[in-house]
Amino acid sequence: MKTITADNMAASQKQPHKADEGSTRQLRIKLVLGLGLLAIFIILPFLGLSGFTLSLATTILITGIATTSLHMIIRMGHVSLAHGVFMGLGAYAAVLSVVKFGLPFPIAMIFAFLAPAALALVIGPMLLRLSGKYFVLVTFLLGEIIRLVFVNWQSFTGGSNGIFGIPLPYEGLADPVAFYYMTLIAALLCIGFVARMLQSDIGRIIDTIREDSRLAECAGIPVLRMKVTVFVIACGLAGIAGGISGFFIRYIDPTSFSIVQSLNFVVMNIVGGMFQLAGPIVGTLFFVILPEFLRGYVELQRVIFGVCLIVVMAFLPTGIVGLAAYIRHQLSRWFK
Amino acid sequence: MFSPAVLGQVLINGISLSAIYILVSLGFTLLFGIMRVVNFAHGAMAMLGGYALYYIYGEANLPYLIAMPLAAASVAALALVLERLVYRWFYQKMFQSMIGLLGLDMALVYSAVIIWGPHERSIPSPIDTVYRLGPLFLSGSKLVVIGLAAVTLAAFYLFTHFTKYGLAMRAAAQDVETAEVQGINTDRIYMLAFFIAIFMAAMAGGFFAQNYILSPFMGERQLMMAFIAVILGGMGSIPGVALGGLILGMAESILGTYFGSTTSVFVTFGAVIVLLIVRPWGLLGIPENR
Repeated sequence: MKTITADNMAASQKQPHKADEGSTRQLRIKLVLGLGLLAIFIILPFLGLSGFTLSLATTILITGIATTSLHMIIRMGHVSLAHGVFMGLGAYAAVLSVVKFGLPFPIAMIFAFLAPAALALVIGPMLLRLSGKYFVLVTFLLGEIIRLVFVNWQSFTGGSNGIFGIPLPYEGLADPVAFYYMTLIAALLCIGFVARMLQSDIGRIIDTIREDSRLAECAGIPVLRMKVTVFVIACGLAGIAGGISGFFIRYIDPTSFSIVQSLNFVVMNIVGGMFQLAGPIVGTLFFVILPEFLRGYVELQRVIFGVCLIVVMAFLPTGIVGLAAYIRHQLSRWFK
Repeated sequence: MFSPAVLGQVLINGISLSAIYILVSLGFTLLFGIMRVVNFAHGAMAMLGGYALYYIYGEANLPYLIAMPLAAASVAALALVLERLVYRWFYQKMFQSMIGLLGLDMALVYSAVIIWGPHERSIPSPIDTVYRLGPLFLSGSKLVVIGLAAVTLAAFYLFTHFTKYGLAMRAAAQDVETAEVQGINTDRIYMLAFFIAIFMAAMAGGFFAQNYILSPFMGERQLMMAFIAVILGGMGSIPGVALGGLILGMAESILGTYFGSTTSVFVTFGAVIVLLIVRPWGLLGIPENR
């Protein structure tokens, strides 16, 4: 029986998987595009846009942290359906340490990282032994269990009512522009960290593990330890996204971190493209902005999301990011 | 609290719940065993079954014994269209099928919300009477569920074990390539298996809608339970599914009655996670990488 994961997928579709061929040029293009995107985000508040656009941009940044962190796990060949819940864990940790224990904001954000990372460290060694489909199923169930904890631990988490009236961390952050820049810096640090990590040896190791974990083991890579490390970091980063979103929306409840949210992150990653860091970024931009054009039709949005997933999974495994290469490939085949 | 009457009642509820779970998960495991497709849209199919029964039985008032199979068959027929449009791209591709069909599930569920609205409905019960058997109260609708499910499962067993197509289906489940070499038209077998699987799921959805609630989101629970039953028994194993469904239905009924539904969910999910970690191929399954 054919085993899971991306390798078969990429191979079966005969996608050019150019790893090194022209990689400096590609890297330069990506760098230019990335810096361009960053420039847009930096000058955004000065464009005289409405407060709504600014809050949309903040949402994009928060979601971007979550999706890029999930990207690391997906790059290893594991699709986690609990990422939204890990984000929620960070949100609860950050908000509770401010609301219940009166800790200062920076320490709260450290807890936002530590809480999900700690859980990931405990369960990671068990979960990451599982092959693709079992991992998906377990994370699916795990997400449900943690959500139930949020709902049922009334005295601490406020149950299904959630926690509202979350105070601002600093007076200065009452200004949406200030909050926006804080989020931008956080996103820059987190996404930059992920990007740097994927460019380093660790990134190569991650790709090797996805393509063939046994081969990786033979090459002397401590596969499980590596997987757990990446999983812990990814879940911790998702927690930071959760912490920021808690203070941004100033209200948290279990439903905002349910399976639907986890699914959204997976959709963004896969439709954007799961083999490159650009994928989740494009996916996030696409799927946070697109729904705004369909505001009155929340259900229709979900239907479109679903159809996108089917189409991408069936015909375009490299996602939107791979679209150009895919078209080029097809054209060159036809006009040989 | 532990009197024989209560225990008997718990047992009856457990069996009717088990029947529904077995029906859902049998189709799920069939699709997985034959086509290597992890059908995340299975719950949505069950949900469609519920709505089909709502219109055919609840609105059109056809006799129940006709309406029930008709509803399930109409959903299965509709699903055959989806098979041509969506599923066939994912055959023998486990990973892609999982994510792609997650998309299909989303599309179906929210299409249902658009068409029928998010509110909950109910389907009238075919038999309102409650029978007394000693200290036990047997509600008619639960008996109908148990009876029809038993008939369906028996038919399924007879079909797979005593007909040519059933044999071909089992052969394809064991090894598609070898089955093809033996002259089995796997394309047709796929469609047949697909029809049967969705038929059973839609039927279970109808039962569930009738005994509990009908809403576009009801499939989520069916899907989760199918997962759990299939994992418990072992992916792709048919006797395993029967065992898994039985354990699950009983556990839910017993734990739910004595400790509340939240505890029951915690315990079952926790047990499944532990099982997956210790023995991912399930109780009766066979390890994949021998």
